[in-house]
Amino acid sequence: MNKFGTLLKIEGKLVWKGLDILIFGILMPIILAALFGYVMSKDASSNGASMFEYSFPAVTTIGILATGVMGVPLTIADYRHRGILKRFQVTPISPLQIILAQVVIQLSSALVSFFGVTLVYSILFGYEMRGSWGLFLLAYSLVLAAMYSIGIFIGSVVPDQKSANLWSSIVYFSMLLFSGATIPYEIMPIFIQKIMNLLPLAQGIHLMKQVSIGEPFQDVVLAIIVMGVCIVVGLFGAKKYFKWK
Amino acid sequence: MLLSVKNLSVTYNGKHAVRNLTFSVQKGEVFGLLGANGAGKSSSIGAILGIEKSTSDELLVLGQSPIIDRKKVFEQVGVQFQETNFPDKMTVEEACNQWHALYVKPQSIEPLLSTFGLLDKQKQLIKSLSGGEKQRLAVLLALLPNPQLVFLDELTTGLDTMARKMLWKQLLIMKEKGLSIVLTSHYMDEVEALCDHLLILKNGETMIYGTIDEVVKASGQPHLEAAYLHFSGEEELI
Repeated sequence: MNKFGTLLKIEGKLVWKGLDILIFGILMPIILAALFGYVMSKDASSNGASMFEYSFPAVTTIGILATGVMGVPLTIADYRHRGILKRFQVTPISPLQIILAQVVIQLSSALVSFFGVTLVYSILFGYEMRGSWGLFLLAYSLVLAAMYSIGIFIGSVVPDQKSANLWSSIVYFSMLLFSGATIPYEIMPIFIQKIMNLLPLAQGIHLMKQVSIGEPFQDVVLAIIVMGVCIVVGLFGAKKYFKWK
Repeated sequence: MLLSVKNLSVTYNGKHAVRNLTFSVQKGEVFGLLGANGAGKSSSIGAILGIEKSTSDELLVLGQSPIIDRKKVFEQVGVQFQETNFPDKMTVEEACNQWHALYVKPQSIEPLLSTFGLLDKQKQLIKSLSGGEKQRLAVLLALLPNPQLVFLDELTTGLDTMARKMLWKQLLIMKEKGLSIVLTSHYMDEVEALCDHLLILKNGETMIYGTIDEVVKASGQPHLEAAYLHFSGEEELI
């Protein structure tokens, strides 16, 4: 097996033995999917889509958040904190390979959770997407890339475990609660919605919602730009400010 | 020349941790960097490896910069840090396999495990190993890349007499085959058994640099232990 394959296999084993990835990355999103699918109103609102339909894209992002902005940065920060990155620094491996291995591992969990959530919504509650699945998957990938870029940036630059916990938690919980991933955006007062719009994931979820109900493209240009900025700034910043120790 | 250091200085918050360190290491040579705790040994090694920020007139590891040519240099350089940490759930076997995969032409794992008495520990979690076993694993991983040059920071601290002797024997065999070693140690018997040249640091300054005979002679003391205490300033504490 090649260098990256072996790294991936061993790091993957270590992460999956930790159970956090299973609980927060897979079980929690699927349980929330069952809950939301059950409680959300199936009645169409003014613009034709029901709360239930709107909630599907939102719930698929819970797994992205747990793996991307918690899983990735916490593992990397833990390795930095304990001098494991310092040991890697005196080997031929590149930071990119270390980060990429963690990204692929967390991604595997995010994708399992995506399938789980989708199965729960469609089999248990008869969800049918009005928009195109192809476009939706594209939007999902873009949001995923943006959230992972934020996570990679946090993991690359935080000096220690404490600040990794702090920053990951701030980003994770603010977006979990206030971007519409769990508490529906639509039930918030208008002025809170305006504040929520500042969170990148709120834009991402807006993009996925619009695509999922087949709304026209011009409504989502801003959201696409925000996702792009997250990716560029996150990855560029991570490359420039990556710390081994 | 495998390692060349000229006027290397390390500064923390305006205070010199190491000042104007100069030495070189040839192929097959064992070089000992000695000094009391806090004399600047680990800072020097960190700077030479490119981990600590430093200034120098020349810093060449295998003829290349350890910072600019990091990947090329560390293909052929092994490092054992004073403290080695592993992920909690990692086994001995996983640590070896992972390290093995990082290099283009590493040594085989099994003979090394057998040499270091870890063959029957492969499936164990590293955190369940004893201090001595962990130390042996750290040295093993440093030698795994089949390096031309290896850095060993306090290589036998925490080892019992037999394990130390075994390790010395192993290192001398590899030295015969052309391995160069930079080590730090608090044990003068170890230094006498292994080192061709040594350099003693005190508060980051070089007190003396030479062969064991030269160092003993310059100190006016009867043997290396006394010469070391003389130059390192530990004498005053006794």
